[in-house]
Amino acid sequence: MTKTLKSLLAVMACAAFVPSALAAESATIKMIEERGTMLCSGHNGSYFGFVEVNDKNEWRGLDIDLCRAMTTAILGDPNKVQIVPLSWAQRFPALQSGDVDIIIKATGWTMGRDTELGLQFSLPYFFGGTQLMAHSDLGITQATQLEGGTICVEAGTTIERIVADYLKTLGVEHTMISYEKAAELRAAYLANRCDAFAGWGPNLAVLRATEIDNPDQHIILEDQLSSEPISAAMRQGDEDFVDFTNWMLAALLLAEEHGVTMANVEEMAANPPNPTVARLLGSTPGIGERLGLRETWAREMIAAVGNFAEIYDRNLGKDSPYKLERGLNNLWSHGGVLYAPILD
Amino acid sequence: MAEAVILRRKFSAKDLAIQALFLAVIVVIVAEAVSSARTNLAEMGLSSGLAFLDRATGWSYSFSLIDHSIDDSYRKTLFIGFLNTLFLGLVSIVLATVLGFAVGTARDANNIAVRSSATIFIQLFRNIPLILQLVFWYAVLIHMPGPRQAMSIADAIFISNRGVMVPGLTIPTVAGIGLTIFAVVAGVLIARLSALRTSLKLLIWLAAVAALTLLLWVTLAPEGAGLVSAPELKGLRFVGGLPLPIEFVAMVIGITLYGAAYIAEVVRGGLQEVPKGLIEAGRALGLQEGMIWFKIKMPMTLRTIIPPLGNQWVFLMKATTIGVAIGFSDLFMIVSTSITQSGQTLELIGILMAAFILINFTLAQLVNLLNARLRLKGH
Repeated sequence: MTKTLKSLLAVMACAAFVPSALAAESATIKMIEERGTMLCSGHNGSYFGFVEVNDKNEWRGLDIDLCRAMTTAILGDPNKVQIVPLSWAQRFPALQSGDVDIIIKATGWTMGRDTELGLQFSLPYFFGGTQLMAHSDLGITQATQLEGGTICVEAGTTIERIVADYLKTLGVEHTMISYEKAAELRAAYLANRCDAFAGWGPNLAVLRATEIDNPDQHIILEDQLSSEPISAAMRQGDEDFVDFTNWMLAALLLAEEHGVTMANVEEMAANPPNPTVARLLGSTPGIGERLGLRETWAREMIAAVGNFAEIYDRNLGKDSPYKLERGLNNLWSHGGVLYAPILD
Repeated sequence: MAEAVILRRKFSAKDLAIQALFLAVIVVIVAEAVSSARTNLAEMGLSSGLAFLDRATGWSYSFSLIDHSIDDSYRKTLFIGFLNTLFLGLVSIVLATVLGFAVGTARDANNIAVRSSATIFIQLFRNIPLILQLVFWYAVLIHMPGPRQAMSIADAIFISNRGVMVPGLTIPTVAGIGLTIFAVVAGVLIARLSALRTSLKLLIWLAAVAALTLLLWVTLAPEGAGLVSAPELKGLRFVGGLPLPIEFVAMVIGITLYGAAYIAEVVRGGLQEVPKGLIEAGRALGLQEGMIWFKIKMPMTLRTIIPPLGNQWVFLMKATTIGVAIGFSDLFMIVSTSITQSGQTLELIGILMAAFILINFTLAQLVNLLNARLRLKGH
């Protein structure tokens, strides 16, 4: 009897807190604040361009920078991030058991993960698809010119099916060799056993830039065989945290759209050129209160890591060794598919 | 006496009960495993059964003796894998046996240089894991020149890192395999017609094979095609002739050398079993060493080594399952890709096991037949 009464009281107590919960933050954010560090997913090694360790033993990459942006937004300091090295297979169990707060690690948004694995995903921040890389001396630029060629793929992957479907649709006759290990696949391609090599576009670009002696000897064909949305993955049940992640990504994109950079952010905050920038940088209050954070979280974040274009260029694009074109990963206004929700 | 019979009967009744109990336990365990697997699969929402065999696969692979496409059903794809394994296994077994006999004989030679080379060969290829050897040969072979710079022998045989291209008959591969089987069977049958002279037998055999080849060419070759087509570089690859992909060549080299090292040891063991007296008798009769080898050593050796040789053959057949390391589409690779693509793990593993039991059981029966035929009468 007393037990029932107690739990009833507890429920009522919770209900009493609901109005203030409007401005309150998520359980995950609260946990991060109490801990004083944010736990992010790393990689067991380097996944070039996204999660990599440089020669000074520092974590670098697009995904790492997004994590640093997030840490700055919550804790006000990008260095309070702690990267937990995880293999691909470990990432979801690690998230579920609380070893990391979020997975930002080239993770595709699939229905199985969204439903069966009990995850929730942010808006996609990157689109990468299957592409083909070929030896330049073949003088080809498109998949249709691969007639009679040999194509190497990794066995048992979705890439294997995507390539088979695509070439069948084009009516390109070919031989396909599938290897179990990525290392064997690379070796076979580099030894000219295959004319072309199918893989995830960003990986091909990175391979071309880093592991091949002369990048000009290889060409990534124009064809985009598929596209996969890459999102941040979070535990089910903390909707406020998903809201925050989405608005963190939105703030980076809005900053790019309105020309707010690492260098001019303070100046922009002092003299906002338009109402959106004023709201974004907290000059007009609202952006912080509604997420239960400081009004200046976006300003501090941009000052620490820059806008989305700066993060991209530094890690994958023109300022990186990989020189990956923005392509689909540009703002909608520049021919890409990235966009931010409306900041009102 | 009567007591003894009763005692024996008692024992046999007890034995029977134990055996029946043992069998019953096995049946219960198997039935329990199958039913619990079914329940668990159903609980996880996974489908089971063989219905997937009729679905199109949607993926491709490197080597097939017959035409294949991504629209083939799993049934046909698995059958192609089965043919590939059988083809690779038989080719490797024949080559490994021939090489193994040569090396085994060399190991028994009097000449020190010959004997030590054979010893080095055996120790080298027997003591390195097969998969390592395979990766090594593959790495060597794919560093040969590309198809456009292929090494050519008389413009008929081309060797490149894509494979070895040899002139081939223009008949379909299946007919070619049929022709080969016919040639072997006819050869064995004709050889047994002991009444005829050897040269006449050879003539009959050649005539029969040639006649069948021409018949197949007339009926099955594409319109206007010559009897033999030579490989020719066209675009990114060779067309015409018989292409042996480099993965196949690497598998054959790897398995042959590895198998030959084991078979050589078996042969050497057999040669050592030949009674010294017989060899000395041969020498006393003035037979040359070659004749002693053919007429005394080999017949005696074969009788003792057939069972272990059969074991090696079964072993080599199973060794074909490492094609996945270098992208050769043997049955194991086809099955493992099917598993990741279709998710029907238990069924596919079952099919893989059944296929290997079928192949190796047949092989073992053939070895037993051979052994029975070669056995010395009265031994």
